[in-house]
Amino acid sequence: MSIFPENKMVILRRVSQVFFLCAFMYVLWSTTYPLTGSIPSDVFFVSDPHIVLLTAVAERMILPGTAVVLAMLFFTFIFGRFFCGWICPLGAAMDISSFFNKRKVLLKEKVNARIRKIKYFVLGISSIAAVLGVQIAWATDPVVMTARFISLSFIPAATLFLDRSFMFLVRDVGFYGKVYDIYRTLKSSVLGINAYFFGNTGMIVIFFAGIVLSAFFVSRLWCRTFCPLGAMYGLISKHSLLVRKASGCVSCGKCMTACRMESIKNPGDSYTKSECVLCMDCVYACPGEYTKFTFRDPFRSSVNNNPTNPTNSINSTNPKGLSRKDFILLLISSLFLSAFRWRKRNGSRASVTRPPGALRETEFVARCVRCGNCMKVCPTNVVQPAVLEAGLEGIWTPKMMFEIGYCEYNCTLCGQVCPTGALKKMPLKEKQKTPLGKAVVRKDRCLPWSRNENCLVCEEHCPVPDKAIKIDIINSGGIMIQRPVVDRELCIGCGICQNKCPVRPSRAIEVIT
Amino acid sequence: MQASELLYKLDCFFKNKMTRRGFLKICLGGLALFVSQNAFLKKAFAKSVSSSGRKKKKVRTAYDIVVAEGKDPAANVRAAITAIGGIERFVSPGDTVVIKPNIGWDRTPEQAANTDPEVVAAVVELAYRAKAKRVNVFDITCNNEKLCYESSGIAKAAREKGAFVYFADNWNVVKASFPYKSPMEGWPVLRDAVECDTFINIPVLKHHMLAGLTMGMKNLMGVCSGTRGLIHVDLGRKLVDLTDFIDPDLTIIDATRVLVRHGPSGGNIEDVEHMNKVIVSAEPVLADVFCAALMGRSPSDIPNLREAAKMGYGRTDISTASIKKIEV
Repeated sequence: MSIFPENKMVILRRVSQVFFLCAFMYVLWSTTYPLTGSIPSDVFFVSDPHIVLLTAVAERMILPGTAVVLAMLFFTFIFGRFFCGWICPLGAAMDISSFFNKRKVLLKEKVNARIRKIKYFVLGISSIAAVLGVQIAWATDPVVMTARFISLSFIPAATLFLDRSFMFLVRDVGFYGKVYDIYRTLKSSVLGINAYFFGNTGMIVIFFAGIVLSAFFVSRLWCRTFCPLGAMYGLISKHSLLVRKASGCVSCGKCMTACRMESIKNPGDSYTKSECVLCMDCVYACPGEYTKFTFRDPFRSSVNNNPTNPTNSINSTNPKGLSRKDFILLLISSLFLSAFRWRKRNGSRASVTRPPGALRETEFVARCVRCGNCMKVCPTNVVQPAVLEAGLEGIWTPKMMFEIGYCEYNCTLCGQVCPTGALKKMPLKEKQKTPLGKAVVRKDRCLPWSRNENCLVCEEHCPVPDKAIKIDIINSGGIMIQRPVVDRELCIGCGICQNKCPVRPSRAIEVIT
Repeated sequence: MQASELLYKLDCFFKNKMTRRGFLKICLGGLALFVSQNAFLKKAFAKSVSSSGRKKKKVRTAYDIVVAEGKDPAANVRAAITAIGGIERFVSPGDTVVIKPNIGWDRTPEQAANTDPEVVAAVVELAYRAKAKRVNVFDITCNNEKLCYESSGIAKAAREKGAFVYFADNWNVVKASFPYKSPMEGWPVLRDAVECDTFINIPVLKHHMLAGLTMGMKNLMGVCSGTRGLIHVDLGRKLVDLTDFIDPDLTIIDATRVLVRHGPSGGNIEDVEHMNKVIVSAEPVLADVFCAALMGRSPSDIPNLREAAKMGYGRTDISTASIKKIEV
């Protein structure tokens, strides 16, 4: 710790937070065709132990990110909850929001002690669910939640704003010269061809905004109260090697008000170690150089490392661990998981069209962490978040909406960016033979069938080299009418026929599963 | 109004003493400004929203149709254009040139669904040699734009020669208007395609189930925005009117690789025939008629040529045309 003056560590922490927030946004932004970003697009998800471990338990398998996750847990054992204070993008967003409020609200210690417990319940419920084979870590994980917000709301909104601003400048104000050229260059590079949009993101925005706004009033309220990833790190950091020491403390109490997690309740050494996110605020606030973070002897138990003052021991808030009452409460609250198991009796077929390479429905729902990567990366915007179409357990899972886009024949991007393998990584040859469904012609609406007018847009667009749409020619009053017929053997259900069909409001050719 | 009264009002304004009447006035004023600004800006700065189309340059060509055959597509293009009279007849110095290749599909050049990139690059080079101010290359694609521009190799090849290759914006359009009654009336057509000095159409010759063959006239669908699928209904008539609207100065049909089955998107290498030809003509209909004959199809099989013959648009009788064949 001597390489950098300790009371300046807070600056280093802020730089780190901004860096990782920008890196997070960059990674998500570069999750788009042609995937040339130098950082793999799932790096933040595979290094998240909450997501990886619970998905692995629920699916009874080892996921690719396990090594990274074990490294993260090991570093947490050495340093404590460094992830929460230095890396977490949601934490950074919350810190930015609380930065604007100078009048901090401090909670009563009794309240703090109570609300801290909740996150262990959240983690406990997800863990029990994982053991039962249901993965609900996606609902509360901070990394995935932030990614969903940034990928599905923030980036689309930002690009849409830029796009419309340029459109206004060019079309309405008449800057057809250089401004238009800049816009065209941006479009083929940074801005992307289309402003993508995603349905049903209201809940995602409300969730995220609620959490960030709560930090405006009470700093890091979500981290203290609900965050299951924080709970997981907290369980380990209870025994971590880096501890806070305040030798020669003058009991001014400045660290107590400075601490964003309110983990210091008395002046001096005492603090709730599992709550400390190493933000270094206490070191910064300390009037002298009394507060320091030092490594303890790794071979002595962390609980007794302050034998002279046992009442001030590090884990003083929760010496007993989980009480019997809490355990029973945890079991009872886990009962609501039955809601997630209920629909499985309806069989293993999805009620929506899944992206190519999706596992069987039951496994897919358990494996999918709803990070939004497949939706963000899709070049045609066809992959959209589901609400309740796929059941309660399928909230925000990807579904294909062929009215919006279609599955590009020469594209395997969604499988490449899936962090948990819910969408298989497939070689292009295999993906081109994987059917998403089969198209059917609605003969009552189709123009050649119902009105004897030539159209054949579906046949023109069919990407299968031998054409999965065949022609039925009839002679109608001297005019040859070509009618489309789907060859069920060849059709791969990519949905381009449905997407390009000019018939409205509902298309005359549809993909069914 | 007294000066003191005015001063009092100003004072009220700066001291934030808002009366109910004043508040309503500000609200109404703001609303009026909001409503009028868009209309005002459009009137003051924006370009016209409708257009009656391009008029092609009056050019005398050495031959009506020139066909160049040889292994190198770029050399074919150069030889054919030299034979028809040189690119200078079509491109004057300082011109803004639009080159409209077929970039419709996410396919490689070998699969022959798009115009050969070497042909496009050769034309770009020629246009700059004739001192064109700027060469724009674009198409509204059927598959995703980025994938098409990249897979076809056209974006890279044309950019290397200095062309502006960009994605067409579906909002930068003009509404087509015709002096006669037309099913294309009011159709949104890309402004860049209409407001240019020279329009060079570079389609690829290939099979198409509905249109029989896609050639020059069908390729012009690529400058139409809107629900393009609807152009397929009564295709022949609409293509004739569209050709009349765009009126391309030069049509260069790429028949280097020809997709003979499963068009227009193709995908099988077996469906591709190497014809190694480039057909150049200043008359879009005549070029199409020649290509149809080249593929052994009668113009009456092709809806747009049938309609053109019926309406008397362009020349559909190949026997009256002077044809020059070159071996490169």
